[in-house]
Amino acid sequence: MPVPYWLLSPSVIPLVVIVFIPMAFAFYISLTGLNQNTIGDWTHAPFVGLKHYLDGLDPRGPLAPSFYTSIKASVVFSVLTTILILPIGVGAALLLSGRLRGRTFMRAVMLLPYIIPTFVNGILWRLVFMTNTGIADQMMGALHLGARDTFWLIGPRSLWALVLADVWASWPFIYLMALAALQTIPPDVHDAARIDGATPLRLFRLITLPLIAPTLGLGIALSTINHFNNFALPFVMFGPTPPDEVNVMPLNIYVNSFITFNLGLGAAMSVVALLIMLTPAVIYLRAARIGDTD
Amino acid sequence: MAVAARTWRPQIRVAGWWRYVVALVYLIFVLAPFAYMGLVALQSDAAAGQGDLLLGQPHWDNFTRIWQTVDLGLYLRNSLIVATSTGAISSLLALGAAYVVARFRFPLRNLFRVSLLATQTVPGILLLLPLFVIYIIIQHSIELHIVGTYWGLVLTYMTFALPFAIWLLSVYVKSLPVELEEQAIVDGANRFQVIRHVTLPLAIPGIVVTFVFSFLLAWNDILFASVLTSPETKTLGPGLQYYVSESFSIPFWNLLMAASLVVAVPAMILFLIVQRYIVAGLAAGSVKG
Repeated sequence: MPVPYWLLSPSVIPLVVIVFIPMAFAFYISLTGLNQNTIGDWTHAPFVGLKHYLDGLDPRGPLAPSFYTSIKASVVFSVLTTILILPIGVGAALLLSGRLRGRTFMRAVMLLPYIIPTFVNGILWRLVFMTNTGIADQMMGALHLGARDTFWLIGPRSLWALVLADVWASWPFIYLMALAALQTIPPDVHDAARIDGATPLRLFRLITLPLIAPTLGLGIALSTINHFNNFALPFVMFGPTPPDEVNVMPLNIYVNSFITFNLGLGAAMSVVALLIMLTPAVIYLRAARIGDTD
Repeated sequence: MAVAARTWRPQIRVAGWWRYVVALVYLIFVLAPFAYMGLVALQSDAAAGQGDLLLGQPHWDNFTRIWQTVDLGLYLRNSLIVATSTGAISSLLALGAAYVVARFRFPLRNLFRVSLLATQTVPGILLLLPLFVIYIIIQHSIELHIVGTYWGLVLTYMTFALPFAIWLLSVYVKSLPVELEEQAIVDGANRFQVIRHVTLPLAIPGIVVTFVFSFLLAWNDILFASVLTSPETKTLGPGLQYYVSESFSIPFWNLLMAASLVVAVPAMILFLIVQRYIVAGLAAGSVKG
């Protein structure tokens, strides 16, 4: 039967126009000195070759401190949050895949932090971490854990404020993946192991974990990618001039591109961000096509 | 058998007791920040500004003041228009492509499928930057304004919504029985009629999920909206920030929390409706590919 290409083209043409061409164009922009003065006549923007990449990636380059600060902030943030949400998400999935009164209610409530818009989440935690008046400082003061005027939104502690805000909002993603995987395990596998005298811990380590590991691997790769690309949360919590510890790549690129209008430099940074994400992306692409034989 | 039952039944009772303690810890962890939002949303301007942790007289009128202090009605309307269009257009276009991917083999089919997944890993900012430049170039050369329009925003969200929708729907369509379609062809239906009258009705659950995901993608965005909207097309993401902007003598944290709760409600309702499809879809998408 002939392939109905006319059904494919309404999707493929927009994809080429709004995804593939812009991506190729981003590589070109990263090689030019495009800024607010040259954007009206972009073909005449000076071609600077690899200048932006060398400025940022060569340790002696003028932009290296800013580049490396952002790369470090992004890697630390995405790895740390993924490690933290893994046990929280798997724990909730194990809890809610078993017998429990009020399970349906719990399953719905557990999703709430994941569903609220990220900009609402950022606003909420900005309020929580306000110096003096935020609930974090007030509780630290009341419990004598620290001074009431501890800074959370500026300085080195900002990383922990961002990580806590993000962990609260993003753990249900791992929970959803783990729950989906747990539901594909036939119940008689567990019953058989229990009758053979397996303790709950051994049951989890030797049977449950290996069975959900492929899906969890996919979840870990996706979570790392999503965190690395997260712009909204740090932007809403810290604004366009964030502390170094939370000046993640998307935020740094945004400021370079749309506030100082150094579009060539911003494009070069986003290409670097894409290359860093290549490792988890390849893991994700391979994992997502498990069992795909046709 | 009887021995086995006797040895592990008491364990379940003990384990059951711990389960409820753990469940309570999770509930507190999830709900405490919402309680804090609710508390601040009902406080007076002064109490919210000082960070009082007690609620005096609840200020229910905050929920009417949010509409007057900033133009929340406009942002809500804009977000609804843009998110609904993104969800509807992405799902409809995707169904045709998903059908072809699920039912036919063609050159570059695998490359196409991999690129659908690959776009999900591209940072939003990497696409925003060239799209913005392209939109400005088009504006300079043929006087066609894209930045600041609804359709410009919808088109931009489709960069992420469309690949995801095609992928998810192709997995879904593949799970549908092909016999009904073959029967319709034998009965003289053309390809369009087959999709319209056979595939579409059967794929409704999958379409609902792609609609909700695409809708939420647009509803929850702040990155593209902060660059590509004008004052008239401003959506909720950037719009909400005005409650604590410098244009007021004091930041209205109470109104910001009240408005945040209001705009989170549509997203929550939509997500809870499709919850069971999502768990099933994730399992199908990740295990069966």
